[in-house]
Amino acid sequence: MDTIHMNTDIQLSQGFSQYVIDTHRDIELTFSADAGEYEVFVRIVNAGKLRIRTFAYEDAHVKYLFWNDMNHACDVDETHEVLRNANVEVAHAEINPYAVKRNTYMALRDTGAIGHLVSSSLVASDKNYTQNVVNFAKHTTGLIDNFAVVLKGGKLYVDAIGKIVKGASRSESHQKSRVMCFDDGQSSTVIPELLIDENDVQASHALTIGRIDREQLYYLQSRGLDQRQCTSLISAGYMYPITVFLSDEKLQEQLHAEMEAKLINL
Amino acid sequence: MNCVLNVTIRNGNEGDCVRTLEIKDLHVSVEDKEILKGVNLTIGENEVHALMGPNGNGKSTLLAAIMGNPVYTVTQGSIIYDGNDVLAMPVNERSVAGLFLAMQYPQEIPGVTNSDFLRAAMNVRRESPVPLFTFIKSMEKTIQDLQMKEDLAHRFLNEGFSGGEKKRNEIVQMEMLRPSLAMLDEIDSGLDVDAMHIVANAINNLRQETKMSLMIVSHYERFFELIEPQYTHVLVDGKVVLEGDGQLARKIDSEGYDWIYDEYGIEAPKEKQKNKRVTNTIGTCAVRTAAEAKK
Repeated sequence: MDTIHMNTDIQLSQGFSQYVIDTHRDIELTFSADAGEYEVFVRIVNAGKLRIRTFAYEDAHVKYLFWNDMNHACDVDETHEVLRNANVEVAHAEINPYAVKRNTYMALRDTGAIGHLVSSSLVASDKNYTQNVVNFAKHTTGLIDNFAVVLKGGKLYVDAIGKIVKGASRSESHQKSRVMCFDDGQSSTVIPELLIDENDVQASHALTIGRIDREQLYYLQSRGLDQRQCTSLISAGYMYPITVFLSDEKLQEQLHAEMEAKLINL
Repeated sequence: MNCVLNVTIRNGNEGDCVRTLEIKDLHVSVEDKEILKGVNLTIGENEVHALMGPNGNGKSTLLAAIMGNPVYTVTQGSIIYDGNDVLAMPVNERSVAGLFLAMQYPQEIPGVTNSDFLRAAMNVRRESPVPLFTFIKSMEKTIQDLQMKEDLAHRFLNEGFSGGEKKRNEIVQMEMLRPSLAMLDEIDSGLDVDAMHIVANAINNLRQETKMSLMIVSHYERFFELIEPQYTHVLVDGKVVLEGDGQLARKIDSEGYDWIYDEYGIEAPKEKQKNKRVTNTIGTCAVRTAAEAKK
């Protein structure tokens, strides 16, 4: 595992690789991938302002999982360039209790490009995301999936934008967001936006924001679980899929254990 | 007319230390409508009780009130289990105290796997967490006992289950959590004949093993033939109007409830009276009934 302390340009090697960002300075990182299969795990332990850029060149298939482990607020600006027939999936795990401000821009530049943004958030403070996935070329697909559990004192704001520009015909833009709220004293705002400037396209958005169903809570409690344990269990259901986002089993076990430790103390 | 035939139901002699559920003068409302109007009931250790009555007369309400469903408000009376005031306990503590309700309509909880849920529920009953190997072995055995699909442990809790699977999964939970008093709310509805035998066997085996008590709501004699209740209570209009032994359940199955209203002078539930009137108006006396109604 490589630890990153300063601005770095990384040419990815095929297969699984992992990095740790650990610096008190502002930092700029660039990841580049040529044709091939890649899985990249990035643990953010400490950083000032983060600027992340990724390039997926023709026929590159890349999955990134950014795991926020910082013990203070996080400010991230990201751009992801997806070229011809490249497929890029970017997942963000935000399960620490600190504020996050993240601006993500994903550009599907050439024909056949597929881009997918995924976020999994446990929200106990301010988490503010702006997500832009833009189809610039024909036959491109942009996807956004957000899952969040909002706890007391949490404030979630998501502006999710799927945009298909003029000329990007036969493209697709889909997004869905699911937000579960447990307590009073929290707020959740999700703005799904589809900005379509072409006729021959497919686009959709789905959004659910809700409190846990009282009957579901009663059902779990009737088996002996208290309110806190129910919260942990249901949160885990929302959050665990991100622990298996990458296929490395050892990493999956590790992230699962870390997640469990965080959720048990809710 | 209120007619309560008191039958003393006890297991063991005076002075024995037994886990007993004692319900006294229980009144329960839902949104200001009173459903239970003074229920008295005692269930001793290792006893099997059948709770019967026409639909909509308070059977499920009684079980839900014992378990602590927040939809139901207890306005009067007491529930004591094993010497503890059940009404003072939150729902989860009632479960840990040994009460279990197999629900008529089990909830689906997406994202929560059966195994995570059951491990968490088992752990709250133990001082140290159940070892993973022990849990897996126990889960495998229970899945076999109930003849569920092998992937049950990894499926989300009741999500996408058929009606019968949900009911069997309630019994899976019961077997894993080993309550001292289990309440089964129409657990046999939605089960085919084979599944009913599987469920009944699992219940009987667990009962033999743990001496748990049972309170069973069912409309079907077939299920009672398999579980064999020793006592039967009939709930009409929010009150226990008749109590007897296991034979009473059989008689109700073959003869219905009308003989109870007639023989014991018990007022039939309003719904029943309405039905009688409807029947009357389509018979030969319809004209006379209409004329009387005009007066």
